[in-house]
Amino acid sequence: MGGAKRLPRVGVFVCHCGLNIAGVINVEKVVEEAFKMPDVVIAEHYVYMCSEPGQKLIEDAIKKYDLTAVVVAACTPSMHEETFRRVLERSGLSPYVLEFVNLREHCSWVHAHEPEKATEKAIALVRMGVAKARFLKPLEKRKFKVWREALVIGGGISGITASLNLANAGFRVYLVEKSPTIGGHMLMLDKTFPTLDCSACILTPRMVEVSKHPNIELMAYSEVTNVQRVEGGFKVEVLKKPRYVIEDKCTGCGICSQHCPIEVSNEYDANLGSRKAIYIPFPQSIPLKYVIDVDHCIRCGACERVCQAKAIDFEQKPTKIELEVGTIIVSVGFKVFDAKRIIEYGYGSLPDVTTTLELERLLSASGPTCGRVMRLSNGKIPRSIAFIQCVGSRDKRFNEYCCRIGCMVALKQALLLKERLGEETEVYICFNDMRAFGKGYEEFYNRVRDSDIKFVRGIPSEVKAESNGKLSLTVYDQSTERFLELKVDMVVLTVGIEPSDGIESVRNVLPISIGFDGFLSESHPKLKPVETNMRGVFIAGACQGPKDIVDTVSQASAAAMKAAELLSRGEIEVEPTIAVVNEFKCRGCGRCEEVCEYGAIRVEEINGRLVAKVNEALCEGCGACSVKCPTGAVKVQRFKSEQIMSVVSAATYEIG
Amino acid sequence: MSDKSSLIDLLSMAEPKPELRLKIIRGVEKLTDICFKCMKCTSGCTSMKLLELKPHIIVNLVRMGFVDELVSSTMIWDCSICLKCKERCPQEVSPVDIILALRCEAVVRGLEAPEEYRSMLTCIMENGLAYREKKRVVEGVEYDRVKLGLPKIKGPKETFMNAMFMVFGEVLG
Repeated sequence: MGGAKRLPRVGVFVCHCGLNIAGVINVEKVVEEAFKMPDVVIAEHYVYMCSEPGQKLIEDAIKKYDLTAVVVAACTPSMHEETFRRVLERSGLSPYVLEFVNLREHCSWVHAHEPEKATEKAIALVRMGVAKARFLKPLEKRKFKVWREALVIGGGISGITASLNLANAGFRVYLVEKSPTIGGHMLMLDKTFPTLDCSACILTPRMVEVSKHPNIELMAYSEVTNVQRVEGGFKVEVLKKPRYVIEDKCTGCGICSQHCPIEVSNEYDANLGSRKAIYIPFPQSIPLKYVIDVDHCIRCGACERVCQAKAIDFEQKPTKIELEVGTIIVSVGFKVFDAKRIIEYGYGSLPDVTTTLELERLLSASGPTCGRVMRLSNGKIPRSIAFIQCVGSRDKRFNEYCCRIGCMVALKQALLLKERLGEETEVYICFNDMRAFGKGYEEFYNRVRDSDIKFVRGIPSEVKAESNGKLSLTVYDQSTERFLELKVDMVVLTVGIEPSDGIESVRNVLPISIGFDGFLSESHPKLKPVETNMRGVFIAGACQGPKDIVDTVSQASAAAMKAAELLSRGEIEVEPTIAVVNEFKCRGCGRCEEVCEYGAIRVEEINGRLVAKVNEALCEGCGACSVKCPTGAVKVQRFKSEQIMSVVSAATYEIG
Repeated sequence: MSDKSSLIDLLSMAEPKPELRLKIIRGVEKLTDICFKCMKCTSGCTSMKLLELKPHIIVNLVRMGFVDELVSSTMIWDCSICLKCKERCPQEVSPVDIILALRCEAVVRGLEAPEEYRSMLTCIMENGLAYREKKRVVEGVEYDRVKLGLPKIKGPKETFMNAMFMVFGEVLG
């Protein structure tokens, strides 16, 4: 637009955000003041600037007043900066001559009790926005090709769903799972709420589908050891751990396991049952290939002697595989709260105090007791069982958040116990709040309430052992105002969900940000629920926060959709707000290289002198290099000296 | 004076006392308003079974501002200060600290602490212990400290007595 240098013509658009902003800030006054600011040719306010008429208002003003830059004073840029950038684009302006001023989070919400001062501050914020807008230059988005393959880390129900979705859309998927089988926690469950359909019946066919799908390469018993961001996506290094069993030869017959003399507790049975040193975690494992647990194997060679397929190979070494993928979905799941940490409930010292996950294994037909629920102290059938809710969740000593599955798990298990052990079995649920919030969940709660299960509204303080082998707990029930003593055969602790250790190992190679609770953070809870701070990396399932299977599956499909969006386009658009180097000022000291977390800036020799060079595909525009640069040679676009200084002088306008 | 209160307890016709509530919770180190009524404190309360002390009710009465009735009640003196409620509360509320703050308020108002507490104090002034020396009868023979060859219990030092008088002078009368 126009070769000759034009004087800036700025338009200011103040949004009411309903009453969010206008309820506190005097928007008319802000507009009135904006008119007095330098180079402002038009200032307007509107009730919802993001709405269609609001956007139209800006579009019309751009044309009518021939604006060169636009200031929108509204909510947060993470909410609507993109929206208004598109408005500018439609009107023929560069989307990067938009300056977004946050009047809601930064002003009206935090100063709700002092409207006059808030209005003053709003004017100052707008003044700073205008000051910067005057110096904004049009920038061009950059596009880069993307490799059309995807990596999914974690083979639980979310990883499986995401992989299948992507594979069915025609993209090649590498599914990396650290344990010998895919399936994750869902494989450990007996039935799923609220429909009570069998967990394995839903999951195992999908697992088979994964293993048979021509577009999926399943890499079980493998870990991602390095991820390097490059143009085109990510260079990934996967370490395939040695199974000591040749996968191509193993038929999964299981004779080796029968002859193995070593028996250890099985972590896939919540350590209730046992397995051999050569084993498969579950009868329905995928891949159905045995694995030798070297920590326990004594190298007696019994398996080698009986294996007819000659599949045992003690000489196997870990192998490294290099992948080039355009996008990564992280779905590393969760871990169950360790109930030993709550000493008053005696888990770990009282054998009949169990957890919901252990009970799930006892209920499951593929579990250590083949579906017979028994007391772990004596193997007898429990006649009375009490659930304690919110163990390790909603507890400031451990995790402040709600585990979002505990209520439904306990309701489901209570119902199953009644079914399996007979109507005469007494089942108590000691709860505080019953949260049956999902579709069909309240109806399920109704059904459980109708099944002679006793709901005690109160949380017991401790579990004690009685001399006759029973467990006793006292609890004050609010509904009856009675102080109750329960003497039961079995106590089930409804344990919560915690971030899995996989989150830490993934973060070692992919620095995705985490929240205060330790779960991976999405970019925005509503607008970017599966995106992360890393471009091209998506998250799904319980690694993002506690959630049940229903939510996990939906989120996994969403992540797959987002990944497919990127892969089908085949290119990625990169913000132009990246670092640029003034080669004349740069003296090649390399401090920028040291601080860059993305490996996006390197010192190179150009025409016989050392100069920093930015890899445009990798730079995220964080500005670390700019801060570190001793000569001021590196600057981030939109944050150049004259732009920052103009904001500073506008901010100190009144001081003079 | 508080005819503007929006809340009233129809059984006792009591109205909340916001200033008094603030006074009570100001001295309590942990937040009390955060209670989510799981009643774990009451479920485990040492004094619940015999004395029907319900810490969750005390916490929530203070939270609503019904402090007056608590200050003058005997309920607050039933706590044995075992600290289980404080230790195990999932929301890190400390009912015991609220109870202690209420006791302080009762003393400040000149309300009489129960006889047991006062006799305990007298005892401490006499021999430095909360309870009086006791004699035991085992198989018809009466034992006391002298008979067991134990030294006599010395009374507390003067500095201790003075300090006690400074703090408890009024209660002791």
